[in-house]
Amino acid sequence: MIEIRPRDPLTQPQGEEKGYAHTRTRWPSLPLQKRPHTASELSGPLLGPHALARRLPPVRGDLAGYGEKRAIGQLIHLRTRIVDEDGAPVPGTMVELWHCNAAGKYIHPNDQSPSPVDPNFYGAARLLADGNGLVELRTIKPAAYAVPDTGGWWRPPHVHVSVWGRVWLSRLVTQMFFPGEPLNEHDHILNAVRDPEARNRCIARLAPTSQGPADALVFEYEIVVRGRKAAPSL
Amino acid sequence: MARIPTSEMTVGPFFPREFAQGASDLTVLDGEPVKGEVIEITGRVVQVDGTPLDNLVLEIWQANAEGRYDDPAFFGWGRAATDANGVYRFRTIRPGAPQGRVPHVNFIILFSGLMRHLQTVMFFEGEDNEKDPIFKAVQPAERRTRVIGRRNSDTYTFDIRLRGEGETPFFDD
Repeated sequence: MIEIRPRDPLTQPQGEEKGYAHTRTRWPSLPLQKRPHTASELSGPLLGPHALARRLPPVRGDLAGYGEKRAIGQLIHLRTRIVDEDGAPVPGTMVELWHCNAAGKYIHPNDQSPSPVDPNFYGAARLLADGNGLVELRTIKPAAYAVPDTGGWWRPPHVHVSVWGRVWLSRLVTQMFFPGEPLNEHDHILNAVRDPEARNRCIARLAPTSQGPADALVFEYEIVVRGRKAAPSL
Repeated sequence: MARIPTSEMTVGPFFPREFAQGASDLTVLDGEPVKGEVIEITGRVVQVDGTPLDNLVLEIWQANAEGRYDDPAFFGWGRAATDANGVYRFRTIRPGAPQGRVPHVNFIILFSGLMRHLQTVMFFEGEDNEKDPIFKAVQPAERRTRVIGRRNSDTYTFDIRLRGEGETPFFDD
């Protein structure tokens, strides 16, 4: 049986953020309700081998392309490992990753930025993790971009990540950041996490360049989804 | 070694359209129809001023027609996104009552401006919902009407207001 315990609020954004206007029109004004957990919340779509892939098939294992089809930008490999609160890998889980191109433009029709689209870059991949909870994506490094009408808020380069843990309550959607980016210190989303150590864990680590592929930087990142094995009752 | 769960962050405004499509019909699995009474769950999602929200992502998790979660012939997970009118739509089967619960469908809501995803539950009109421990966890009791899907033949309407007058109750786990 998996157990979900309350999280330290310093490690999670709390809802409304001064610098992010939409949080004040969308985050609930009334307190969230506490509830007991039953089989409904403590089961989930990872039940059974590759269950989620029956409804969400993997798409595009490589976003960078080759030769004439190579996307513009710094070639990177994102090596992401999904573990639970016991540190045990979540084998066979699904990971969705999406990010903007090397000019700061998303493929999404709602992105009104005047930055150019890269015809060789489609920034969305869905990958099935291996038996060690690992996915690796070859892609290009996303650029920073300005958030319109915010008086100078720039998003640092980041990759959106969506992942499933063992149960419904372990669902996690987050963003991965890059080390050494000066905009990290000012971002209203990253800094909504008040605990500096928790923020640091949202920043990927550059792997030693002597060990990686000759043409790409490798970034390693660990995602911890909620859930630990319940202690056996005595 | 014990780990601390990763911080959640907003899904943002650019969740790929492609990811939001093709997963809203739970009545078919691997090309085969599943067992149960086919229903539609639909609703409109609005923010504080009543403006409908476009490209908001909803994910659901529910039991099969017998109230079980471990049925290899039914997969109780789905995803839909709202259109420009803020309307979402799932095709599914009416879940049975899991042990100790009444029939219900779990919802996750992901959107820009939501720094963490929101959790709510749809209960079914006409059921003995006051017997359910999660229904009863909604306080004050007057708010419980906001988590009941209203029936019109085989369609249940479950509107969601993120914030403001009559806002939907959301759970913290």
